[in-house]
Amino acid sequence: MKLFDPTSKPVERAVRLAPRPASPKGLRLGLVDNTKFNSDILLKKLAERLAARHQMTVSATNRKRSPSHEIDEAGIRALRAQSDLVISGIGD
Amino acid sequence: MSELDEAADPAALIEAYYDAGWTDGLPVVPPSDASIAAMLAAAGLEGPERLGEIPGRNTEVIAEKAAINAVMAGCRPQYMPVVAAAVRSLCAPAFAYHGPASSTGGSAMVLVVNGPIARRLGINSGNNAFGQGHRPNATIGRAVRLIMMNAMNTRPGFLDRATLGNPGKYAFCFAEHEEDHPWEPLHVSRGLKAEDSAVTLIASNSVYQVYNQLAASPEPLLRCFADALGNMGSPNLKGFNETLIVFAGEHADILKAARWSRSDVQRFLVEHARRRVADFKRAARMPGAVTAADETTWRHVFERPEDILIACAGGRAGSWSACLPGWGNKWTRSITTRIDDALLGRQT
Repeated sequence: MKLFDPTSKPVERAVRLAPRPASPKGLRLGLVDNTKFNSDILLKKLAERLAARHQMTVSATNRKRSPSHEIDEAGIRALRAQSDLVISGIGD
Repeated sequence: MSELDEAADPAALIEAYYDAGWTDGLPVVPPSDASIAAMLAAAGLEGPERLGEIPGRNTEVIAEKAAINAVMAGCRPQYMPVVAAAVRSLCAPAFAYHGPASSTGGSAMVLVVNGPIARRLGINSGNNAFGQGHRPNATIGRAVRLIMMNAMNTRPGFLDRATLGNPGKYAFCFAEHEEDHPWEPLHVSRGLKAEDSAVTLIASNSVYQVYNQLAASPEPLLRCFADALGNMGSPNLKGFNETLIVFAGEHADILKAARWSRSDVQRFLVEHARRRVADFKRAARMPGAVTAADETTWRHVFERPEDILIACAGGRAGSWSACLPGWGNKWTRSITTRIDDALLGRQT
C-alpha cells in the first residue's frame, strides 16, 4: 500500500541578511506600521526611546495597506534607501 | 510516498493518514494513483501545474497536491474543477490569504457555486443548504480546507491561529438557488454571464440566522438584517467590510413580491445598518469617553452597496435567512472565479 503525501513545504528562497550595524548610535530608523490597532502609537513610543538612547532618527515610515498585505516594492525600495534599521511586526 | 507494512486493510490505511497528521480530524479516503489521475483529468490539470501562490508565505499550490487532498476529502473527480477554482480564488492577490487564513478570527472559507456546474454536480441549494447530507457540498468544502492545511501550510496552532474557529472551517460550500430567484444570480451580479459556472469565495467568521415570520414587506424584514449586521459583537462593525447575506425562500419571496431590486436591498442595508458612536464607546469598541455629540453621531457598518453580497439558497418553507459577516477590515475581498466551460464536458 502507498501513502500519498498531501503536503507541500514552503518554497525555499535565498534570503541575504543585511550587514549588522556596528553600533546603534545615530542610525536612520525605518518604521513599518501594519495598521493594527495602536501599532502607530507603539512604534512612535519605540522610536522616541531609540532616539533618546541611541540618537536614532526616523527617516522613513511605511503604512501598509493592511496587516494582510505585504509592503509593496516601492515601499521596500524607500525603506532600503532611507534606513539603516527597520522595525516591523506589531501584533494585536 | 511510502510503503506500509500493514495488510491492505482500509482502516489501517486511514489510521496511517491520521498518524501522519494529514487529516482534519475526520477519516480520509486513501488516494491511489488512479484516483489522483482521475481528479487531475477531470479538471484538465497536469500534476506539476501551479494553481496559485501566496508569495509572502513562500507557498505554491501544485495541482497534484490539490488532487491528493481532494481525493482524501471524498470528492468525485467531476468536483475538481470547483475545487481548483476555489484554490485560485484563495490565491488571488485581492483575497490577501494570509489574514483570513491565519487570523485569530478563525474564518470559514465560504464557497457559493453558481451556473450549470452546480446543477450538474448536484450541489445542494435547497433545504439545509449549509448543513449535512450532500456529498458535493461536504467534500468540495472539505477539500479546500485540507488543501489549506496540507498544501498551504495553514495548520491549527501554527499558521492557523483561530481562537475558536467555527464548524464551517471543516467545509462550507453551497449552490445558489437560481430558479425562482428575485434577481440575477450572484455570479451575474459580479460580471459573469448566467450561463457561466463560477465559485465565489468569501472568508466569514460566523454564520448567524435571521428570523422574521411576521414581516410581509421588505422594510421590517430588512430592519432585522440591519440590526443583526450592526450588533456590537460583530468584528467588522467599524471596518466597512463585505458581508454575505443569504435569503431563503419565504424572505426572498417577500422581496420579490414587492419588486425590490438587489440594489434596493443593498442601499436599504447601507442606510440602516448603523450604530451611534456612543454605543461604540459604551461597549469599548471605540476608545474615549462618551460625549453629547456621540449620542447623535452615527457610524454606518457598510460604505458601499456592492460590499453587501446577496445570494439566495435554502428551503422554500421557513422564515429564516442568514448573515455571514466577512472577515477583516477591508483587508480581504471576496473573489469570484469562473470555471472553464470546456470542463463541463468532462462531467460524466
